[in-house]
Amino acid sequence: MKTLRGLSFLVLAGCHGATPPMTTMAPKSDFAEWTHTLYLQVIGWDSLILAIVALATFVALFRYSTRAREGEAPTVSREHLALEVTWTVGPALVLVAIAIPTIRTTFRSQPAEAPPEALEVKVTAHQWWWQVQYLDLEITTANEIHLPAGRPVRLSLESADVIHSFWVPQLGGKRDIIPGHTNAITLVPRVPGVYLGQCAEFCGLSHANMRFRVFVDTPAQFTAWSAQQTAPAAVPGRPAEAATLVEAGAQLYAASPCVTCHTVNGVSTQRVGPDLTHFGSRTTLAGGTLDNTPENLAAWLRNPPAVKPGAQMPDLGLTAPQIAQLAAYLESLK
Amino acid sequence: MAVAARTEATTADPSYLGGNLWSWLTTVDHKRIAVLYGTAALTFFVIGGIEALLMRLQLARPDNTFLAASTYNELFTMHGTTMIFLVVMPLEIGLFANFAVPLLIGARDVAFPRLNALSFWLFLFGALFLHASFLAGGAPNAGWFGYANLTERYFSPGTNLDFWVLGLLILGISTLLTGINFGVTIINMRAPGMTFMRMPMFVWTILVTVVLILLAFPALTVALILLLMDRFYGTHFYIATVGASPLLWQHLFWLFGHPEVYIMALPAFGIVSEVIPVFARKPLYGYPMMAYSTALIGFLSYGVWGHHMFAVGMGPAADAAFAVTSMLIAIPTGIKIFTWIATMWGGALCMTTAFLFSLGLILEFTIGGLSGIMHAAVPIDLQQTDSYFVVAHLHYVLFGGSVFGIFSALYYWWPKLTGRLLDERLGKLHFWLTVIGFNGTFFPMHFLGAEGMPRRIYRYAPGMGWDMWNLVATISAFILGLSVAVLLYNIVRTCYRGVRAADDPWDARTLEWWTASPPPAYNFTRIPIVRGRDPFWILKYGHQRSAKGAALDPQRPVLEAAPPDAFHMPAPSIFPLVLAAGILLTAVGAITRLSLVGIGFSVVLLSIVGIGFEYARFGEEEPPSAAAGLSTALDNRKLGIWAFIGSESIFFASLISTYLIYKGRNLAGPGAPEILEVPLTSVSTFILLMSSLLMVLALAANQRGDERWARRWLLGTAGLGSLFVLGQVYEFTHFYHKGLALQTNLFSQTFYTLVGFHGAHVTVGVLWLLALAIASRAGRLRRERSLSIELCGLYWHFVDVVWIVIFTLVYLLEGVQGA
Repeated sequence: MKTLRGLSFLVLAGCHGATPPMTTMAPKSDFAEWTHTLYLQVIGWDSLILAIVALATFVALFRYSTRAREGEAPTVSREHLALEVTWTVGPALVLVAIAIPTIRTTFRSQPAEAPPEALEVKVTAHQWWWQVQYLDLEITTANEIHLPAGRPVRLSLESADVIHSFWVPQLGGKRDIIPGHTNAITLVPRVPGVYLGQCAEFCGLSHANMRFRVFVDTPAQFTAWSAQQTAPAAVPGRPAEAATLVEAGAQLYAASPCVTCHTVNGVSTQRVGPDLTHFGSRTTLAGGTLDNTPENLAAWLRNPPAVKPGAQMPDLGLTAPQIAQLAAYLESLK
Repeated sequence: MAVAARTEATTADPSYLGGNLWSWLTTVDHKRIAVLYGTAALTFFVIGGIEALLMRLQLARPDNTFLAASTYNELFTMHGTTMIFLVVMPLEIGLFANFAVPLLIGARDVAFPRLNALSFWLFLFGALFLHASFLAGGAPNAGWFGYANLTERYFSPGTNLDFWVLGLLILGISTLLTGINFGVTIINMRAPGMTFMRMPMFVWTILVTVVLILLAFPALTVALILLLMDRFYGTHFYIATVGASPLLWQHLFWLFGHPEVYIMALPAFGIVSEVIPVFARKPLYGYPMMAYSTALIGFLSYGVWGHHMFAVGMGPAADAAFAVTSMLIAIPTGIKIFTWIATMWGGALCMTTAFLFSLGLILEFTIGGLSGIMHAAVPIDLQQTDSYFVVAHLHYVLFGGSVFGIFSALYYWWPKLTGRLLDERLGKLHFWLTVIGFNGTFFPMHFLGAEGMPRRIYRYAPGMGWDMWNLVATISAFILGLSVAVLLYNIVRTCYRGVRAADDPWDARTLEWWTASPPPAYNFTRIPIVRGRDPFWILKYGHQRSAKGAALDPQRPVLEAAPPDAFHMPAPSIFPLVLAAGILLTAVGAITRLSLVGIGFSVVLLSIVGIGFEYARFGEEEPPSAAAGLSTALDNRKLGIWAFIGSESIFFASLISTYLIYKGRNLAGPGAPEILEVPLTSVSTFILLMSSLLMVLALAANQRGDERWARRWLLGTAGLGSLFVLGQVYEFTHFYHKGLALQTNLFSQTFYTLVGFHGAHVTVGVLWLLALAIASRAGRLRRERSLSIELCGLYWHFVDVVWIVIFTLVYLLEGVQGA
């Protein structure tokens, strides 16, 4: 089994050295593992059938392709009942062999209710970013999901606008997010690590720019992270030149149109755009498309739709000093 | 090899390929219409291919900036829409079925030649309309599948999707008319002795295909009409905030969409089933299995639409059910594959280009079918759906299946179509470049999908492990493009310098090779009498299984050279073109100015009147059905009306289901119990039912030659129908004044749409009845033409039956619940 898995990975991953970050071939949750096992079984059956068909075709080709040239007559072939029954019943049996584990895995991976100890995470998809909420922990963040390894999680999925689809290949199959419906994925992440996800249902202009990350933490890391996220927003007021920049940025933020869309706990409360309370602690920005660096943030603030076509956040006409102040402030929100 | 007796009769006739422009604009000859379809569809094939190459260039490397996001989204939408509606279907059905089916069944034309012309012009205008969007501010950009609610005006404000909705509606009408036409042709116009179980397999697949068209397209039409109303009239059929669901679109769309896959695949299977026996010099192995498996695939294709929606969250029970039905389709498909191989087995294979492409189809389609099995396995599908794995799968099915079949047919039937042979050396170059380019482009997409690359993304980040295979796919795509260039060069070169084809260059088995290459306008000087499968082979060699050792059958009937004008061929007509132009004007008007809609409607009405007068002048429209002993004994037109009624049933069933699904989901405003007035509607229902009685009396009167009473009953029927419509107008205004506008709530939207469409059908019926009354007054509806009244009667009774269903489900049930 292990060699088979390694072999198929080599073949299907196209012989890359490092694990591609969105591969479906390196499962890191129970759901993904079940799927992968089934996948390997079906690949086996498929290869067998393809081999039979190709072999039969090529044998026919090599045996009978010279006859026409040499003026030989075709062999009269009669209807052959046993043969016909074989190629009807044979594939049917293979399908039964595929259908049984398929149905079992289907039911197993879609439990009606999550286990009681499951962590509830509410993901709301927007054009084109993800809002992530831990209702029990009172955490709201964006484009990054932290999950403790080994604990079941129930991701409940809602849409703020159009249809999206939640997909983290290494953690399992995707689930569409339909306006007016609440969908769910239940799984147990097994291996700590960072896994990339992306919207998988075409959702308009910047569908390609709707990415996110899932951090599967050790329980200790997760506790530390949630403690940090539930702490109040950072308040500027530390020594040196940087502090004045941050201070100025904080004042600018509070007085700017930013507050009509964004939340920073204690400063602003709107939820049109991502919650920025702990923006500085996130690794990405702009729908998970850019690393969270001051330079990238500055580029984003300068003209968001230029970075992410169709972005709802308009070009606010900020000056370079204003951008520097805002960037310093936002990056300080650890 | 060719049968000499034939040539002298036919070479004197001018080829159908000549003629001036006017003769092409007014043609009703199925072979000319096939050429028109082929020319247009090949052009769109090149356009769709260029769109694909542009996308591949953009994806050649990560974070490429060659195309803007908006352009990329327009390209993949138009690529999919073009290849499905403007290339594969028109080539398989418009070109090959149009050209070959009448020849294969020994007929002189299709059942309704002018309808055939109308189908083509609607197709062409619909396609041009769709492409006009490029000039008018942007092409459609929500994918060929156009999932609601992204397609709503709020999220897609431009005219992009208006072009898409209206264009697809026009194309849908065209396809529906073709479906009716070919269905009647195949059922009613087979040559004497050609029973169903002697029909060439291509004809079988087209028969199943048209049944799929008739029953699948109405679901798309309804989905599009609801979207159109949302976009133009402010209803909310797909908007969740008022209690509706965007999933309604997906169910309707895939109810059409999966049969559509087989609408594209089955004709290609039919082509392979023609080509392989010819070049293996053996009859098709297991003919009955092949025929039944075709029908079974068609039947099963209605029960599997849910496998496009596994990720939607239908629940494990529904998922499992759709998984099993989807897997079942693999069994008849597998039978086909093995049967083709068995046909090759023991044959004397001629490696022509046509044969190679059929051979290619067997292997490439098998790969697509096997990845299809993965998608039937729900958990695997959840990983692969909307990833590049699906892009690989669908291209193995649609390119490896349908397009390989199309190329095979192109080489196979080209000599019959044009009288010249496509160059075989260039053909083989074309084949090998296609195989290399195709597999190089699409096989790596399996890897990309397995590595997690989503579909429909205009850019991707570096470091995802997707760079190399994307580059390979792009380079291979250009090899594929080159292969198409070789094909086009071959076609152009053949037109000027091609080798003249004998009448039977392949020593083939079916009737089209019995006549000249290219065939005369009337196809056959004599209608052949069919004595078994592969009738031309039997004609040539008797009931021998192979040509070897069998001299040409001395009993072979000697062909007489009947003068061509001895049989009646349909006269050319400009009205199909004018009518189609009227429908185009209507669509243009919907986007630009409303006055054009009025003009468009007038043009449509006038051309229908024009066709009516044409009919009166020229007498019987159809070429006489040669298959008197075989046909269903139903007149072509009657069978056509029945086919239309079948299709309309699905149309109303979709509307009624929409009503039922949305029942009780009202959020605001008055609902059914407060609004509906059952007593009043009972009266109008009674009136409509009585009109059916008068319709029966009208037909009976005309059949016994009492034209005066026939006229009175016709006018009486029309009068009662008008009363019903007036009652509905009163009802609608009354409801409106009680505060129930079209957009008020889900009940009002579904109610007005369902009942309104029924009212429109009644109105059309009233106009039809009045036209009949006028014709009768003019003395053109004598006893022997009673069929004209019968046709209208069938339609009228159908509309009444639909009303009984609507009255029961909407009014009575609501009334009972309300009480």
